[in-house]
Amino acid sequence: MKLRKVLALGLAASLTFSMTGCGSKEEDSKESGSNTENNTGSSATTGGETSGTSGNDADAAKGDLTYASVVLGESYTDLKTSIKWIHHKTDREEDGTIKAYIAEFNKLYPNITVTTEGITDYQEDSLLRLSNGDWGDIMFIPSVEKAELSSYFIPFGTTAEMDTLINFADNWEYNDNCYGIGYMGNAQGLLYNAAVFEKAGVTKLPTTPDELIAALKLIDENTDAIPLYTNYAAGWTMGGQWDAYLGAITTGSTTWLNQEFVHTAEPFANNGNGTGAYALYKILYDAVAQGLTEEDYTTTDWEGCKAMINNGEIGCMVLGSWAVAQMKAAGSNPDDVCYMPFPITVDGVQYATAGPDYCYGINVNSSAEKQAAAMVFVKWMVEKSGWCDFEGGYPISKTAPTSFAFEGVKIVSNEAALAGEEDYMNMMNSESELSFNAGGDAKVQRIVEAAATGEKTFDEIMEEWTKAWNDAQKECEIEVLH
Amino acid sequence: MKTSRVQKKSRRTLGTWVKSRDGQKVFLFISFMTIPLLLLFTFTYLPFAEMFGFSFLDMKYTGAREFVGLKNYMKVFQREDCFKALKLSLYYMGGSIVQLVLSLYLATVLSFKVKGGNIFEGFMFFPYLINGIAIGFIFKFFYTRGFVFDTVLQWCGFELENLPYWLRDQSINNISLVATSVWRYFGQNMVLFIGAIMSVDGELYEAAQLDGASKTQQFRYIILPSIKTIITLNVILSISGSISAFEPSYVITGGSNGTGTYFVVMHEIAHTQQKVGLASAMAIILLLIIIAVTVLQKLFFKYVFRSAEEEDPNAARKREKMLAKMARRKVGRA
Repeated sequence: MKLRKVLALGLAASLTFSMTGCGSKEEDSKESGSNTENNTGSSATTGGETSGTSGNDADAAKGDLTYASVVLGESYTDLKTSIKWIHHKTDREEDGTIKAYIAEFNKLYPNITVTTEGITDYQEDSLLRLSNGDWGDIMFIPSVEKAELSSYFIPFGTTAEMDTLINFADNWEYNDNCYGIGYMGNAQGLLYNAAVFEKAGVTKLPTTPDELIAALKLIDENTDAIPLYTNYAAGWTMGGQWDAYLGAITTGSTTWLNQEFVHTAEPFANNGNGTGAYALYKILYDAVAQGLTEEDYTTTDWEGCKAMINNGEIGCMVLGSWAVAQMKAAGSNPDDVCYMPFPITVDGVQYATAGPDYCYGINVNSSAEKQAAAMVFVKWMVEKSGWCDFEGGYPISKTAPTSFAFEGVKIVSNEAALAGEEDYMNMMNSESELSFNAGGDAKVQRIVEAAATGEKTFDEIMEEWTKAWNDAQKECEIEVLH
Repeated sequence: MKTSRVQKKSRRTLGTWVKSRDGQKVFLFISFMTIPLLLLFTFTYLPFAEMFGFSFLDMKYTGAREFVGLKNYMKVFQREDCFKALKLSLYYMGGSIVQLVLSLYLATVLSFKVKGGNIFEGFMFFPYLINGIAIGFIFKFFYTRGFVFDTVLQWCGFELENLPYWLRDQSINNISLVATSVWRYFGQNMVLFIGAIMSVDGELYEAAQLDGASKTQQFRYIILPSIKTIITLNVILSISGSISAFEPSYVITGGSNGTGTYFVVMHEIAHTQQKVGLASAMAIILLLIIIAVTVLQKLFFKYVFRSAEEEDPNAARKREKMLAKMARRKVGRA
C-alpha cells in the first residue's frame, strides 16, 4: 500500500514537473524566437551596409592593384600595416607550418604583420563570418554564389591575365575577373610507393590497366608489400574514390560524366581497348580475383593504411591527390609516397581531372593599404612559399617549382550538366541505386566480393549495372541518345 | 447523499468548482490523460502516420512527390535484397535462443549460493554497459586476421592457416556478427532472470529438498513456472529484436559482404539511394511481420505454459455434465 502511494506521488510529481517544463520551454522558445528575429533584422541591415559600401570600395580598388602588377620584394616594401587571414588548415596552424611561412615572408616584408586564425568548422563558420563582415583581410572563399563575389572580394586581375600565371584561374570567375586563387590543387591519379615499385622491378609507370595489373603482379612476386590496398571496410574509399575517375580520365571526354552519361544506353560496355567505365572497375575486379590485394578485405583499416604505404607495406592505393600529404606525414619515408596519373590511356593520351582546393580571397571592405598588403602576401604564398608543394598538391603557380610529376598528362575538368538537366544525374543515381559519386560504396564493394568469392564474373556485374541504368532511364523518362 | 451533492455543485461558481476537490479531481483526470496521450501522439503516432503516408509516394528528401499507390509494397516483394536480408534474421534468432538458454543457465547457477557470484554477475553484465558502436570497433579488431581472436586460438593450438577469415568468409561471417550480439546481451538477460528467480520463495526450495528433489527438478518444477512471465518477455523481445537487428552488421561490416540485415538494407535505400517511399513501405512490412511473430509467440507460450493445475476446459465440461447427470439420477430416484 505504502509503495503504491509513493509511486503515485512520484508519478504526480514527475508529471507536474514535466508540465512546468513544457510551460517554461514555450516561453523560452518564444523569447529565443524574438531574439532570432532581432538578429536576422540586424544582420540584414549590416548586410545592406556592407553591400552599400562595397560598391564604393570596389570602385576604389579597381585602380592598379592586381596580382600581376605586384613584384615580390620590390612593390610595397615600405608598406606598414597588419592583416588578418582566416583559414581551415587548423592542423598546419597547430604544427607551426603557417607560422614558419609567415616568418619567412616577414624577412622580405618586415613591416607587414600577418595574424592568422584557423577555424575548425570552416565550411559553416566562414559563411557566417563572411555575412557579418568581421573576418579580416584574407580568407579562403567559402561556397558563395559567383554573382556575389564582387560584393565580398576584390579581383586579382582579369581571368585571361591570371590564366598566364596560375592554374584554375576560372574557378572563381565572374564577369571575366578572377576573384580566387587556390592554395593548392587536387588531381585524380594513383597514389603509390615509389620504393616498392622500384624494388619490384617496375621501371616505367603503368599507363594502361594491363600494365598496372602486370606491375601489381611484379610487386606481388618480388616484394612483401600488398600490391593494391582496397580499403574495402571504410566504405567511402570504395565508391567515393573509384567513381571519381569516371568521365574525362576514363573516356577522354570532358562532357561524358555530367552530360552524356545519363543519356548513354550502354555506359558500362567493354570497349576492348582498356578505356571507359568498364576498364576502370575491371582493374579492381582483376586485382582482387588474382590475389593482388590484401588477404582479408573486410578488416582493412583506413588509419592504419597511411603508415603502411609510408613504410612500403603497400604498393598503391586508389585515392585523390588530397591524400598524399596525409600519407607522407604518417611515417618516416615521406619521399617514397608519390602520385602518378591514372593508368588509363585514351588514344595515346592520359587524362587527369583537377581543380583547386580552397582559394584565397581578399576583403573588398579592407582599406587600400591592407588590400595591397594582402595581395603581396597571397602572391608570396602562392609563388614563393612552397606550401602547395609541401602539401603534395597539384601546382597552382605556373612558375613555382613543383614535385608533382604529371608529365605528358592532359589536365582537364569535367564540364557541368547542361542547363535544365542538372537534376538528371541525381535522379538516375537514386533510381538505379548505383549512386555514382554519391555514396554508392556498396556497388564497388560488391565487385570486390564477387571477385573474391567468384560468384559472379565481371561481365555479369556490368550487365546488371547496364540493366539497372536502362531501367532507370525508362523510369525517369530520360532520352537515350548515345 | 447523491442529490445533495448535485445541489451543492450547482450553487458553486466555476472558479470555486475548479478549486474544489471535485474540480481538482476532474482537472487531474483530464490532464493525466491528455498530456501523456498528446506526447504519445506527437512523437509516436504522428510521425508513424507520416511514414505510412510516405509509403504510398514516390519521393526523395527533396523534389516533387508522386502518389503511386501500392507500387512501393510490390517492389519490396519483387526485390531480391529485401527478403534475402530478412533470412539473415534466422541467424540472429538462432543466436537469441543460444543467448536465452545460456543466460537462463547462468542465472540459475548464480541464484544458488556460489562463491564470488556477484563478481561473476558483474563481469557478465559488463558488456551490456558498453556502447554498441564501441563494441563494433572492438570486434572489428577482434576478428581481424592474426589479431586477438586468432592469437587466442593459436594459444589453444590452432594453426593460423586452418582458421577461417571470420568476417570475409560468407559462410560464417553472419555467425561471427551474431556472436557479438549474444556476447553483448546475454549478461543483461541473465540479470533479469536472476531478479525473477530471487523473487521465488526460498521455503519452496527447502520443502523440495526435504522431499528429495534434485536441482534439476527444482529448476523444472519451481523456478521455470515461477519465472515464465519474464521468460516469455525476454523471448519476445529478443526475437523481435533479431528481426530488426542493425548495430552489429552496420558497425562491423557496414552491411557489406552479405551481412546486410533488413534494417541495413532499409537504411541504404532510404539514405544513400534516397528512395524514401520504398524504405517506408519496407518499414511498414517489417512492422507487420513483427506483429505477426509476436502474436504467434504469445499463442505458442499460452500452449507451452499451460500449467498442470489449469485443467483442460473440455475435461471440466465433461465433469460438469457427469455431475449434472448424477444429480438428475439422484433426483429421479428420490
